[in-house]
Amino acid sequence: MIATLAETTSSIFLSKLRDEMLRDSKGRQILRERPIINSKTIDIPYLRTLPERTFGKEYANFLDGEMVTPDTREKVKYIEDEELAYVMQRYRECHDFFHTLTKLPVSVEGELALKWFEFAQTKLPMTLISSVVGPLRLSSKERTRLFEKYVPWAIQCGSQSKLLMNVYFEECWNKDITEMRKELGIYLVE
Amino acid sequence: MSLTRINLFNQTKHKFRYTTSLLFNIRHLATVTQDHNIKKRDVFDNSFMIDKNLYDIAIIGGGITGNALACALDIGVWENINHERIRPYKDIQVWDGISDARIRFNSDERISINKNVEAIAWIIENNNIQHAILTKLAQYKDSNIDFLENTSVKRIMFDDVNYENEQFDLSDWPSLELSNGKIGADGINSVVRSFANIESLGWDYNARAVVATLQVEPQVENATAWQRFLPTGPIAMLPLNNRFSSMVWSTTPTLASKICTLPSNNFIHLVNAAFRLRIADLEYLYSQLENSDIEFAKEFEWRQSIEKKPGIGNEISPPLVLDVQEKSRAEFPLKMRNAESYVKERIALIGDAAHTIHPLAGQGLNQGLADVQSLVKVIEHGVVTGQDLGNIQLLKNYSSDRYLSNLIMLGAVDKLHKLFGNDFAPIVFMRSLGLQVINNLEPVKSEIIKYAMGIE
Repeated sequence: MIATLAETTSSIFLSKLRDEMLRDSKGRQILRERPIINSKTIDIPYLRTLPERTFGKEYANFLDGEMVTPDTREKVKYIEDEELAYVMQRYRECHDFFHTLTKLPVSVEGELALKWFEFAQTKLPMTLISSVVGPLRLSSKERTRLFEKYVPWAIQCGSQSKLLMNVYFEECWNKDITEMRKELGIYLVE
Repeated sequence: MSLTRINLFNQTKHKFRYTTSLLFNIRHLATVTQDHNIKKRDVFDNSFMIDKNLYDIAIIGGGITGNALACALDIGVWENINHERIRPYKDIQVWDGISDARIRFNSDERISINKNVEAIAWIIENNNIQHAILTKLAQYKDSNIDFLENTSVKRIMFDDVNYENEQFDLSDWPSLELSNGKIGADGINSVVRSFANIESLGWDYNARAVVATLQVEPQVENATAWQRFLPTGPIAMLPLNNRFSSMVWSTTPTLASKICTLPSNNFIHLVNAAFRLRIADLEYLYSQLENSDIEFAKEFEWRQSIEKKPGIGNEISPPLVLDVQEKSRAEFPLKMRNAESYVKERIALIGDAAHTIHPLAGQGLNQGLADVQSLVKVIEHGVVTGQDLGNIQLLKNYSSDRYLSNLIMLGAVDKLHKLFGNDFAPIVFMRSLGLQVINNLEPVKSEIIKYAMGIE
């Protein structure tokens, strides 16, 4: 449902997101090549064999730990413009990479923190709506933790880090994850 | 056909090497007062000391405006223009680079102005006009106009030295000291204006205009003027003939110099991109101007294939640029200036010496020519009624005729520049709305185009 909401209200902002990609060389490469992330295009067994502390290995660990696969994303349905539809899809598909880099858990809190992070990066309305509505479902203790710890981090880190949509993740499997975080301007939550 | 209907972009401004200073006396008009000697007629701009160097009027600056003035009473130069090198256009398309809001003026549909209007305006090369005017002036060469070519004004002063001819007290007549050497056309940095201590008020736009002659996709009829407002400034393409167009691109000083020195294949595609691609694309290309690894052609082709818009007919974009004429690229700074006064005792300023404007509406030269028309009427009146031509009471008529209309035009163009040189979303929204609304209001568009055409 959240996915559908995003599709109908965010075409202006998708356009803005696409513009941000157009301004960056890597972003342009991604738009040109349109890489897709699913269990067919990504060789997860291979990633498991990579050394610890590489991005690829961390990603594989994340998938295994949370028991998810890259195929759990809904397909984009309501966006007519081909390129914008791709941008939306890419955005969703990269979500797990964002988890890997920020080490946020796949809990309601973790997801909300990530939404705030994404909002600071992209300004997409969907992220804002669920960032605001989502916390209502938390207990008050969880909410406090969210707004005292996670949200400040998300806003700070999100706005100073490189737009993650412009990262060609598929080229980074062998990279040391600490190096990668440093390059992108991401630091972990305390 | 009045010259004020000509819309001109000065892409040849920099090639314009020779300028002439003209000095002529209106001796032939002295018959009105029945006196054979040099009349104690007030020298108009400046004059020389010695008898034979005493002139009724000296025109400093031999650009188009100066020479047009010299044609004096009857301009009638149209027949000398090389008609094969002029281009009328009937269609103007202007749009907002961010929102794509458009406004369009088309004289084919314009029944309300005049059924016989062939075009909204003509594009004519500077050299063509200059040549036409000088051809006309050649007729007067032996009679009462002296041309001083390749001469510059070293100094203008009031000279109190006593000299032989004590008949007249010329101490309040300005005098010129000339030298052979480099030329300075009067114009923006007018020597006359600084001599007269007339201040020029205004500001510099943090912008420069790049001009070039482009070879474009051959058209059946290249008869539309195009202008897109980018956040950095407008880019315009004006038809010269079916295969060539002239470009004027106002942009930031940094970009202007990079664009001017860009290798031609990248330049061509940058211009195509500037008319057709998204602002974000342009910003990317700007960041790669000094990167020789990036092929602008490839970038352009890729984005073109993505952005294919279902056009409303084929009128959405200007013709594709195929090549740029060698050495035709040049750039110059943009500013807005208006002299605080157009006249002083024995001095009058016309054209760029009096005012400078942003090129976005193509009005600069037109204003200068309108100044000429006005001043000529005033001089004519002065001669016919036997007045002292340099007298400020006479010259003030010119000033009061032209000052306000120039000021209004300068102001309007300046506002347009500021309005469109902005990418703040609410402003983009308002101006786009404005464009679209006006585009649908024929009577308003009519008035706008009449104003630009010089038909009051």
